[in-house]
Amino acid sequence: MYKEIEFRVNGNKVLYSGNPLRRLVDVLREELGLIGVKEGCGEGECGACSIIKDGKLVTSCIIPVGACIGSEILTIEGIRDTEKGKCIVDAFRDGGAVQCGFCIPGMVMAAYALLQSNPTPTEHDVRVAISGNICRCTGYDLIVESIMLAASRGGELWQ
Amino acid sequence: MAVANYIPETLDEALLLRKAEGAIPLAGGTDIMVQNKRGIGLDPILDRPVMIIAGLKELKGITLHEDGSVEIGALTTAGEIASSLVVPWHVRMAASGMGAVALRNSATIGGNIGNASPKGDLPQPLILLDAEVVLISFGGERRMLLDDFIKGSKKTDLRSDELIKSVIIPPHDFTYSYYRKIGMRKANAISKLSLSAAAVVKDGLVVDFRASSGAAGPKVIRSREAESMIIRRSIEDIPEIVPDFLDAWDRAISPHAMPKYRRNTTARMLTRFLEAIVNEEDHGIIE
Repeated sequence: MYKEIEFRVNGNKVLYSGNPLRRLVDVLREELGLIGVKEGCGEGECGACSIIKDGKLVTSCIIPVGACIGSEILTIEGIRDTEKGKCIVDAFRDGGAVQCGFCIPGMVMAAYALLQSNPTPTEHDVRVAISGNICRCTGYDLIVESIMLAASRGGELWQ
Repeated sequence: MAVANYIPETLDEALLLRKAEGAIPLAGGTDIMVQNKRGIGLDPILDRPVMIIAGLKELKGITLHEDGSVEIGALTTAGEIASSLVVPWHVRMAASGMGAVALRNSATIGGNIGNASPKGDLPQPLILLDAEVVLISFGGERRMLLDDFIKGSKKTDLRSDELIKSVIIPPHDFTYSYYRKIGMRKANAISKLSLSAAAVVKDGLVVDFRASSGAAGPKVIRSREAESMIIRRSIEDIPEIVPDFLDAWDRAISPHAMPKYRRNTTARMLTRFLEAIVNEEDHGIIE
């Protein structure tokens, strides 16, 4: 039986010994201060709290921290200053993808997960990749175009 | 107040917890965490201990057996099933239509079966394919048809000392296959209604015919009575059987909300599939 939950967040070791049912989003935001992770619906429907766990996009509001033993977690804070992260963030800025901004960390993580596995996505691929991320401002088109921009600008970066 | 929650390291530890405390298994958490959510900063509280089994390697993975059957470990995610090259088409279709990307990366086949929602996406095609569940406890394993395991809405035959170990899908070679999920949106939609159908046609004779209805009653519905009306009949005879067949299927389903819509739409989907058989359309997937 595991008594402690050891995992890595943005490359840093985390040791957690509280209730394993605590939601990952609460551990990230409240214990680790990673408030770039947003919470919208709290039931895995809106995608605002999306993070990457062991290379896969997941919603951190419905993942208990006890499911993270040995996991590598990446949040917006962990990719923002990497070359790939900057490529997406710059494309979002240049493409006018951001209005209120609340959904954007989740959108960026979804875009990152997509481009990691599919460096040359079609528009349809992009729409599927962000189909779990709700934005109430933009109508999505500028976000989709910005992700396409990140793919074309990044080029070899995503290969 | 709050009960203890556990993270077993091995399947044996998990089975011990099942036996000793009847701990609730949490796999992907996509049902349990939502059903028991209490809000920002608050941990979910359940009335029984929860054991998080997400990490148990013993229950993961997809195996193609020599006899052509496919075994899917209970902790295999919808995303892994959707992208598998060996999982049968109907099941891949259902898996790829569950929620959206992030949900498919968490939600598991064992959880989807154990939750036993009549709107659950995976039981519907699995029951079409006569899939069996393998249940494991300290006493050993038992196997049963998924159709028998799911007893009704949110009710299964799982004993308090058991876990779902895997699902076994027997091999099939269908001439025609059909799958349709109707939801409010393309993504993140719970089924309003779904239907799988499949048939084997040889020399103008329907050798095998089956269908399964999701979200049209307290559990996934297959009517063997209706299916048997089509089986071993020549395709020329089918048009005159269709009205009786549709009546029999209509009697088998029992949608609680919007029954007229669900009954009409189910009949239309079945009619479309039978029409493809009668018209001897190109073999494969019928849309």
